[in-house]
Amino acid sequence: MDNRVVEFIRGLRAAGVRVSLAESVDAMHAVESLGITNKEVFRSSLRATLVKEHDDFAAFEELFPLYFGSGGPPLQSAMDDMSPEEQEMMQMALSALSGRMQQLLDWLSSGEGPSKEELEEMARRAGVEWANSPQEGRWVTRRMLQQMGFAQLEEQMQQLYEKLQEMGMSQEAIEKLMGVVEANREALAEQVAQRVGQQIAEQRANRPEDLHGSDLMHKPLQSLTEEDANQLRKEVQRLVMQMRSRAALRRKRGNKGKFDPKSTIRANLRNGGVPIELKFKKKKLKPSLVLICDVSTSMRAVAEFMLRLTYELQDQVARARSFAFNSDMQEISVTLSGRRAADAVTQVLYDIPPGSYATDLGNSLNTFSKKFMDAVDGRTTVVILGDGRNNHNSPRIDLMKDLQRRAKRLVWFNPEPQRQWGTGDSDMLEYYPVCDSVSVVRNLAQLATAVDRLLTER
Amino acid sequence: MFKDIADVRGKLGQQQYIASEEIGTVVYLAHSLCKPILAEGPAGVGKTELAKAWALSTGMPLIRLQCYEGLDESKALYEWEYAKQMLYTQLLRDTLRNVLGDVNSLAEAASRLAQEEDVFFSENFLLPRPLLTALTSDEPVVLLIDEIDRADVEFEAFLLEVLSDFQVSVPELGTIHAKHQPMVLLTSNNTRELSEALKRRCLYLHIDYPSQDAELEIVRLKVPDLKPALAQQAVAVVHQLRNMDLRKMPSISETLDWARALVALNASSIDEKTLTNTLTVLLKYETDVQKARRMMGGGDDGGRHGRYNR
Repeated sequence: MDNRVVEFIRGLRAAGVRVSLAESVDAMHAVESLGITNKEVFRSSLRATLVKEHDDFAAFEELFPLYFGSGGPPLQSAMDDMSPEEQEMMQMALSALSGRMQQLLDWLSSGEGPSKEELEEMARRAGVEWANSPQEGRWVTRRMLQQMGFAQLEEQMQQLYEKLQEMGMSQEAIEKLMGVVEANREALAEQVAQRVGQQIAEQRANRPEDLHGSDLMHKPLQSLTEEDANQLRKEVQRLVMQMRSRAALRRKRGNKGKFDPKSTIRANLRNGGVPIELKFKKKKLKPSLVLICDVSTSMRAVAEFMLRLTYELQDQVARARSFAFNSDMQEISVTLSGRRAADAVTQVLYDIPPGSYATDLGNSLNTFSKKFMDAVDGRTTVVILGDGRNNHNSPRIDLMKDLQRRAKRLVWFNPEPQRQWGTGDSDMLEYYPVCDSVSVVRNLAQLATAVDRLLTER
Repeated sequence: MFKDIADVRGKLGQQQYIASEEIGTVVYLAHSLCKPILAEGPAGVGKTELAKAWALSTGMPLIRLQCYEGLDESKALYEWEYAKQMLYTQLLRDTLRNVLGDVNSLAEAASRLAQEEDVFFSENFLLPRPLLTALTSDEPVVLLIDEIDRADVEFEAFLLEVLSDFQVSVPELGTIHAKHQPMVLLTSNNTRELSEALKRRCLYLHIDYPSQDAELEIVRLKVPDLKPALAQQAVAVVHQLRNMDLRKMPSISETLDWARALVALNASSIDEKTLTNTLTVLLKYETDVQKARRMMGGGDDGGRHGRYNR
C-alpha cells in the first residue's frame, strides 16, 4: 500500500500539484493512524496532508479513483444460473457470430472480462502512449471500445436474442441473459476507462520533466500552450511573492524617519519620563497606482497575463485602481478585489467582450479624463498595459499629455517588439515620447524586470 | 483525546458544531500527527467557530490571536513590561542603595549592577502575548490564529519557527520550549496566497458553504425557535442568493442572524414584505440588495433579469 501511495504522489506531482517530501511523510503517518478500511476517511486523510491548495482539489479528485479505485465495477456472470442445456445453446449461438463479436459477447456473458495483458495490448493499439491528458484518455477509451466492437453490439445482441429464441431457450432465461449482458457492457466500459486513465497518469508521472522555469521565462507570452500557461501561472505567483516581500521590506525601511521628541515624551510618560521607547516620525509614503489594461482583440493572447499582473499589483499597493478598455474605459477595481485571481480575470474578460475592430484608446482616454481623472494625482504612477494598436482612431495625444503632466509617472508596458511599433494601426511611436518610460514586455523575464523597476523607482 | 473520527464528530456536535466527515478526519489527524490545521474558505462558514467548539469539546482553554496588517512579534509573542520594571526600580531604591552602598567609583557601581541585571530581565517582567501564553501554558491549549492572510509576510515567516518546533527564542532568556504542544488552528479567507512553507507544515482543510440540508440542520440546531417550514424556506432563499452574482455572498452566520430576525419579527411566512424588510440582514451592499429584490420580485421575469444583471 505504501508503494501505491508513493506512486499516487508521483502522479499528483506530474499533474502539477506541489507535494514536498515532508508532506508525503505526513500522508504516510496519516494513513498509518487512520488505516485504509474506510475509503472516504482514507481519501480525506490523503487530501488534508497532500493538497494545500483548493485549486488542486480537482486534480486530486481525478487521480484518486485511478490509483485507489477498484478498477471499475465487477462483471457478473450470466452462466451461473443456467442449466447445462441452456449453456450449450448459448455456446452454439455464440460460435455462429464473427470472431471479434464472439469474443466480446463471451466476455460480457461469462463475466470474465479481458485479461490485463489483453487490455494493455488493446490500449497500445489505440495509441495510449501518445495520450497526455484526461481528454485524450477519453478518446483512447472510445477507440478501444470500438476495437472491441461496442458499436455493433446492439445489433449483435438482437441477433443473439433471435437465435436463442429459435433454439428454444425460454423467454425468461433470454431476458435475464440480456439484462446481465447490458449491465456488463457498462461495467466493462467503465473498467476500460479506468484502466486507460491509470495508465496515462502513470505515464505522465514517469515522463522526465522537460519544461524548466528558465526556458518559460523567455518564451513569448502569445505562443504558450495550455500546459505552459499553467506552469506560467505558478511562475507569476512566485514572482509576485518575491515582489511582495521586497516591497514590504522597502516600506518597512521607509517608515523609519527622523527622531520625534514630542511623541517620545508622550509615550514615555508612563515610564516616569525615562525615554525607554523611542519614537520616530513616520515618512508618509503613500504610493498610488492607476493601472490601465488593454483587453482588445489584438491583446487577447496576453490579456490574461496582463490582467493577472494588474490583479497582483492592485493587491500589493493599497491605493491602486484598475481600469480596462476595449472601445471604452471601465473601472475594474471592484471586480478584481474580493475575488481570487483566476475568477477575477475570467470575470473581467467576460464583462468586456472582445468585439473586433472596436479598440479605441482615444475614446477610452476621453472617458477616463472625464470620469476617473480624480484617481490621478501627483503621487500616482500610471501604468498602461497595451500594444497601442488603436484601429486608426484618433490617438488623442493631447489627453495622454494631460495624464502625464498630472501623474507622477506614466509608464507603458508593451508586448510588441520595438520594430513593430508604428506599423499598421499602431500609434505607439506617437505615444512613446509622451510616456516617462516604455518597456517591452514579451515574456516573463522582461515582465519581472519591468515590474521590479516600477516598484523600486520612486 | 479522541477515540476515532465518529467520536470527534460526536463531541463537536455536543458543542452545537456540525462537523462533516472531512472536518472530523482532519481534527482527528491534527491530534494524532500533532500538526496545525490550516482552514481556508469564504468568510463566515464557521472556521473560527470550529476552534471554539474544538476547545470546548476537549476541555482545553482557547487562546486566540487575531491577525491584522502590521501585527508584529511584540504584539503576538511577548513584550517587556517597562512600566513594571520602572516601578520596581523606584520601590527597590533602598535595596539598591544597600547593594551599591560601599562602592566608590562609577565603574564599580555599573559592574555590580550588571550582576543584578538578570533580576530585571526575568520572566517576572515578561508580558506574554497569545503565542507565548499558548507555549508556556501548564495544560494543553487550542491556539486559534485567526485570519492569517491579513498579517504581513514577515510575520508568516516568523510563525514558521513556532509552528514547526513549538519553541521561541527570547534573546534575554534563551529558548523557551512548549510545555505541552498546543493544538493550532489557522484560518484564512483567501485574500492572498499563503507561503508554501507555511502550508507545508499544516494539514489543509477547505470549508465551503454547506449543502442545503446541512445548513438547514445548522439553523434548526442554533435557532430552535424558528418553525421548521419557515427554516426550510429561509435556507432555500439563502441558497438561491448564493447562486446569484453578488459582491458578497450571505454566510452561515448571516443565515443564522436572519433566522433570529425572523423569529424576533414573529414572521409566519417569508412573503415579499418580510423579505424586503429583512434582506439587509443577509446582504451588506446596496447593489446586492437591489439585485436580489429585482430577482425575487421579478417572478416570471426572473430569468431575464438574472441574465441582465450579469
